Amino acid sequence: MDWQAARVSLILAVLTAALLLPLGLWLGRWLAFTSSRAKPWVEALLLLPLLLPPTVIGFYWLMAFGQGTALGAWLRDVLGLRLVFSLPGLLLASLLINLPFMVQPIQRAFSAISPSVREAAWVGGLSMWQTFRKIELPLAAPGVLAGIALTLAHTLGEFGVVLMVGGSIEGETRTLSISIYDRVQAFDEASAHLMAATLVLCSLAALVAVFMSERLRQRGGLSKP
Amino acid sequence: MKRGLQVQLRSNSPVHLNAEFECAPGELVALVGASGSGKTTLLRSIAGLHRSADLAGAVRLGSSVWMDSTQRIDLPAQQRRAGLVFQHYALFPHLDAINNIALCAYSTPANGSKDSKKIAKDWLDRLGLAELGERLPHQLSGGQQQRVALARALVRIQDDDGRQDASARGVLLLDEPFSAVDAPMRQVLYRELAQLRQSLNVPIVLVTHDLHEARRLADRIVIIDAGHTLQSGPPAQVMRSPRNARVAQLVGIHNHFHGQFNSTGDGCAVLHWGDLRLKVRDKGKIDSGKKVTWVLAGEAVQIIAIGQAISPQDNLLACTITEMLPLGEISLCRLAVKSTPDTMQLNLPTAQLSALSLIIGGSISLSIPIDAAHIMPLRS
Repeated sequence: MDWQAARVSLILAVLTAALLLPLGLWLGRWLAFTSSRAKPWVEALLLLPLLLPPTVIGFYWLMAFGQGTALGAWLRDVLGLRLVFSLPGLLLASLLINLPFMVQPIQRAFSAISPSVREAAWVGGLSMWQTFRKIELPLAAPGVLAGIALTLAHTLGEFGVVLMVGGSIEGETRTLSISIYDRVQAFDEASAHLMAATLVLCSLAALVAVFMSERLRQRGGLSKP
Repeated sequence: MKRGLQVQLRSNSPVHLNAEFECAPGELVALVGASGSGKTTLLRSIAGLHRSADLAGAVRLGSSVWMDSTQRIDLPAQQRRAGLVFQHYALFPHLDAINNIALCAYSTPANGSKDSKKIAKDWLDRLGLAELGERLPHQLSGGQQQRVALARALVRIQDDDGRQDASARGVLLLDEPFSAVDAPMRQVLYRELAQLRQSLNVPIVLVTHDLHEARRLADRIVIIDAGHTLQSGPPAQVMRSPRNARVAQLVGIHNHFHGQFNSTGDGCAVLHWGDLRLKVRDKGKIDSGKKVTWVLAGEAVQIIAIGQAISPQDNLLACTITEMLPLGEISLCRLAVKSTPDTMQLNLPTAQLSALSLIIGGSISLSIPIDAAHIMPLRS
């Protein structure tokens, strides 16, 4: 077991989920309730990372933030930031590619709230913020949990983008999935087995959590009138 | 300063509205119209839920202005003291009955520092739901849910300590509240609403498509069609004298016909109907020579036996019976009126029909009193 890699994977997954949660709540809720004409465009952009090959995302990331580019040089010289082959860069890329995993379940959960329930809250004197806290968030909670679980599992399992953007720097950007690849290349099947099985269990646990939360949502009486 | 609720609203898009009505404290006004007539939009506009840049006019409750487009006032729903019962109740599905009510009581400043849970419990007691406070909405029957929704609306307007001017305490808005419960339950709820009215003394606006419901519950009905308030008045008055043909149609009057109105100058007039001429009253409201629609008050019509004399004030009408459906004491009859293109639908006494041996395909003579025709301009 590559404990360094497990640590990097865990940090990456937890930070990605934690930072995406507020953004996902805001964006998911906005998409669920908006009648803006921009909605289909935003939805399409959100789904794009799901469909593109990881190599495409990684390639453009390197093109945009690589050391040789103007933007990359500016970020390094002015802000002291390096967004390729570093954990901060990996985190930022991870936020981008995990956006649909966080936003989609949250959006679906908010969409399922009957419009008249929100209106009943407003007519009942609840402010927008109170309505969000007391009505919308509890009703959407299972979707929020599903978004967190999917984001955690997907971050642990991401391979292509991590390899392209982060490389395989021990203790910095080498995650479990990269480490498995390295172990297989080195014919160390026992280590690869252990780490692969760990990832399988994590993903399974996340999926069970997603489907349990779906049951919770239905039992919670979120029946439409 | 007028008391009660005053509404004047106009809008062209997205929904067409041209509505005006008032509702005094303690009065129950029913907005009646078909689905899509704009009655629910009107109710939502009062509550502050339907908002659009195009909405013009004013909504006032006593001395407080909820909306006035000339003064650019448009209070959000939270600041209007409207208790709204939604068509499907819209209870908060994750909260039990007590908390459904308490949350809104807590958010209503007029309840001050009073314990919102206590307010909620008191209302549940009052509506006979004391035992059910800890149930979630899906564990309640339709009628129970409706009462929880009613209690939740009432905490918005209730203010028992009497400090506040009664005319500004709030309004109760009911959006088709009885459509989702079965008929026996509806009778119970009708009675409860009637009892509640006496103790509340706030304006109550009820939206319904059911004219019978409106007649039964409302002091006044407001007929709405395509966003326009066509006529308002006590139910009996609107039914008796609809203002125009569309109102007559909407209130379900079958016997309305076209004709031409010619005054004869002595308080009477002649109504040309097909090739017939009927004697009618001239109330001075319609110009002579106008094309009109008119409604026949079916209950004033009498069957005339052959050879029976009629009063000179009455009209004699010859018809052919095209349909006769006995429904106990009365029979539903469809009659083709001779010398006109029209048929009329009347409820006639079954006993009299059989005593005179009247059958389908046979002839029947009717007397139409001079006051039985209610005459309206084509459109107004």
